[in-house]
Amino acid sequence: MRRNHIVRFSMVLFTLLVFTSGISGAAEKPIVLGCPLSTAYLYGWDAERGITLAVEEINAAGGVDVGGTKRPLKVEVIDTRDLEPGVPVSEALLAVEKLILDRKADFILGGPVRSEAALAAMSLLSKYKKVSILSTGALSPAYHATVEKQYDKFKYCFRIHGEAKWLVKEILTCLMEIRDTYGLDKVFIMVQDVAHARAAGKILGDVAAKQGFDIKGMDIYPTGTGDFSMGLLKAKKQGAQVLSIWMDMPESAILLKQWYDLKIPALPFGSTLAAAEQPGFWESTAGKGQYCLANVVNAGNAPSNASDWTMKFYNAYEKRWGLPPEGLGSSSSYMAVHVLKDAIERAGTLSSDKVVAALEKTDLMGVYGRLRFDPKTHQVIPSFDPKEGAVGSIFQWQDGKRVVVFPSSVAMGKIQLPPWMNE
Amino acid sequence: MEILIYGTINSVALALYALGFAMVYGVSRLPNFAHGALYVLSGFITWTVLNTLGLNYFLSILVSFAATAIIGALIYQFVLIRIRGMEISEIIASYAIALAILEGMRWAGFKGMNYTLPVFIEGSTTIAGVTVDVHRLIVVAAGTALFGLLWVFTRYTRIGLALRGMAQDERAALMLGIDSDVMAVVAMGMGSLMAAMAAALLLPLGNIVVESGYNVLILAIAVCIVGGIGSWGGAVLAAFIIGFAQILTVVFIGPHFQQVVALFAIIITLILKPSGLFGQQKELEERV
Repeated sequence: MRRNHIVRFSMVLFTLLVFTSGISGAAEKPIVLGCPLSTAYLYGWDAERGITLAVEEINAAGGVDVGGTKRPLKVEVIDTRDLEPGVPVSEALLAVEKLILDRKADFILGGPVRSEAALAAMSLLSKYKKVSILSTGALSPAYHATVEKQYDKFKYCFRIHGEAKWLVKEILTCLMEIRDTYGLDKVFIMVQDVAHARAAGKILGDVAAKQGFDIKGMDIYPTGTGDFSMGLLKAKKQGAQVLSIWMDMPESAILLKQWYDLKIPALPFGSTLAAAEQPGFWESTAGKGQYCLANVVNAGNAPSNASDWTMKFYNAYEKRWGLPPEGLGSSSSYMAVHVLKDAIERAGTLSSDKVVAALEKTDLMGVYGRLRFDPKTHQVIPSFDPKEGAVGSIFQWQDGKRVVVFPSSVAMGKIQLPPWMNE
Repeated sequence: MEILIYGTINSVALALYALGFAMVYGVSRLPNFAHGALYVLSGFITWTVLNTLGLNYFLSILVSFAATAIIGALIYQFVLIRIRGMEISEIIASYAIALAILEGMRWAGFKGMNYTLPVFIEGSTTIAGVTVDVHRLIVVAAGTALFGLLWVFTRYTRIGLALRGMAQDERAALMLGIDSDVMAVVAMGMGSLMAAMAAALLLPLGNIVVESGYNVLILAIAVCIVGGIGSWGGAVLAAFIIGFAQILTVVFIGPHFQQVVALFAIIITLILKPSGLFGQQKELEERV
């Protein structure tokens, strides 16, 4: 008899446990963030880390308030491999579709990382009506131009980091400062053979020439190039004083080592220079990266005081991952999650159309300044002033540290020239 | 002068990439598609021994030489020997091994741009008005010495002569008491050792990335096809042809087309002389 009671009591208890856990599970059904990222590459893993950090912070604070119900966030990552040479764009598209159909992603965040893949994925996002916030890698102006051209079709696509045209403006302004300070006006452009770099290199060359710079040439290097000596010697022979580099391939580190070894009298300016962005760059080049300038697209990816949140993010990232933010996708991917949370809470629903409307009204002070989207293009509004818009960061390697030197509103130091340029 | 100096450096680098591949194919008729993976693996072994065990740099290099040679020999002994003579299977199996090695390294965390090895001697010098960094000159000197040593080894040592015998006529070598399986293992070990030597010389110029395994394989195949698959001398000559063609392309057309040169050379060779410059395979068919 007593044994029967125990069995019955256990069964009731078990049923109650299952039932209550079912209820709580339903109440806390996670919001799935699908992240198509090229995880073996800097712009993939930095974004993954930024997103994960933000998700952990939000979940620790109780989750996202969706119409009065707190729901946690869940990250689903698929490696798109789109930054790897020779991997077709279709791989990234498969990853996006799998995230939507198989992993049941409510939103797409982060990538695809390569511009070509991101552009190709726009139709998929439109087909499935999935809100996406690009936060790393893809810099092509064609992305937001496409949204503007066919708003109704592509209104689900947002980009929260800087794009090539703005970067060109930023770089040009910085180049003009260098010209005013040191008299360097002869520029040689070296770009990687990918859409955003080719386009940006051409735009930079045209615009800089109009501003009175003497453009000595533009070399395009296929992804995977391992020797830049002939290009560097050509730049030297033509009297270049600034090397404008636009490359996200790992081999760009070779370019900088060769620049140092050959003592090329031209300041290396990485408009996009993945190798130089990483804190480990100094050790890996044994200090040969000294004086190299690199654009990390948004503040927060290198130490500065752009906003009250900048160093909080920087330190939290370092504490969580054991190293400082590395690439251009760190702070923007982190902010993409916070901006999405803010939009969902204002919309009170996960409905794509309502979240789109809420994202268009976003206005919050983030890690890299005031974050707002242009309602027509869905591109984050940039500025040189963090109080007005998303502010960028150009830093220079100085004695093993990444010192932000531009824009002046967030600068922590001044640009220096290598000694062989002063001779 | 720039073209001459950098053309020579580029050519020696290409020859270093290709020599191990040519040796393995020459002796055992095995297209070792894991060659590029062994190159990268060797670099990561050196890096790991140097940075985690704290061993002296040159000792670390020696450890990687030994480890890569042994791994190459084991790959042959335990996998490839079973499918020897079945060319398609050999290609598929060795490429699968390459993928396993390269993607395994990526999975193990060897990704990113921070894996680098120090150059042997820092600094640069000027030759006839052209600035060259010292390590590149070391590459040329060490590469030339390696080709010389290989020539001596294959002509004046018992193992070297046995390898040449195998390369010329395996059945005749068998009749003379040469164990073809043992020699094939030795050739694979030596081919892997050469990949490791190329890595030790060339990787300090850049960084160690998994993707370079695929590039090295493509370049090695291009050099061997142009030179004549299996011909060691042909590989060296082809390396110089492609190496200079690449540098001339960079100077007169643009770096954009540099990587096309190797692939273009493969196509031209396969159309005009499929056996390559010094290849004996298919030569009779071509004459007929």
